[in-house]
Amino acid sequence: MVRTYETVFITQPTLTEDDERAAIDAFAEIVSGGGGVFTANDRMGRRRLAYPIQKFEDGVYTRFLYDSEPAVPKELDRRLRINDKVIRHMTVCLEPDWAVAAKEQAVRDAQIRAETEAARAAGLLPEEGAETGPERRPGDPRDRDDEEGDYEERD
Amino acid sequence: MGMMRDRDEGGAQGGRGPGGRGGPGGPRTGGRRRFLFRRRKYCKFCEDKARWIDYKDVRTLQNYIPERAKILPRRISGTCATHQRQLMQAIKRARTIALVPFTSD
Repeated sequence: MVRTYETVFITQPTLTEDDERAAIDAFAEIVSGGGGVFTANDRMGRRRLAYPIQKFEDGVYTRFLYDSEPAVPKELDRRLRINDKVIRHMTVCLEPDWAVAAKEQAVRDAQIRAETEAARAAGLLPEEGAETGPERRPGDPRDRDDEEGDYEERD
Repeated sequence: MGMMRDRDEGGAQGGRGPGGRGGPGGPRTGGRRRFLFRRRKYCKFCEDKARWIDYKDVRTLQNYIPERAKILPRRISGTCATHQRQLMQAIKRARTIALVPFTSD
């Protein structure tokens, strides 16, 4: 039975970009080779770990979201466990109705990311540290202070 | 994480419904009543039904993880039983992949 799985794994922060890419591609290959269909294969980026793992304070997070037979996450899990570049991993089987929402979210995220990328490439967004004078437009990325704003409104 | 108790809701009169049951106690005097009044707690996840609680969404989870990194009990946050269960699951998953601490001193 095909179900939706989400695998998140953390790789060592000390890897070079090429090594990291190679490792991730190898894991992605296990999924697609086993008949899995990717919805998202996204690098969540480097972030601080909430607690040290194998004496690493940081880690690079990668997330796979895919539909497949249960044999695929099993194999992936086995390989992730063997690979010592991976310091932590977890696979979750999503409930069918949540899976739909998760996939929609993933598609939206990918779209937003692509748009931002395109805008940056076209030079619409100002470069980091570029001075635009005292008046900033509302869309200026430097004005975006999501963390505070969101939190304040919640209460 | 400021709890929502400073907010004054419409003068906070003795909230007795029409034909209020004459139970023990009777209507309290204004000053004391106002002091005791707490804003009603509600489940914040029930507001948007379509959402599931994502274990990767650290910012949401952080609201339910006080200083010692324990899971905030339902009696304090007002979360409904269903969502508290989902929240618990999400926090535990987030702990596994080091997005959220197990403990903090």
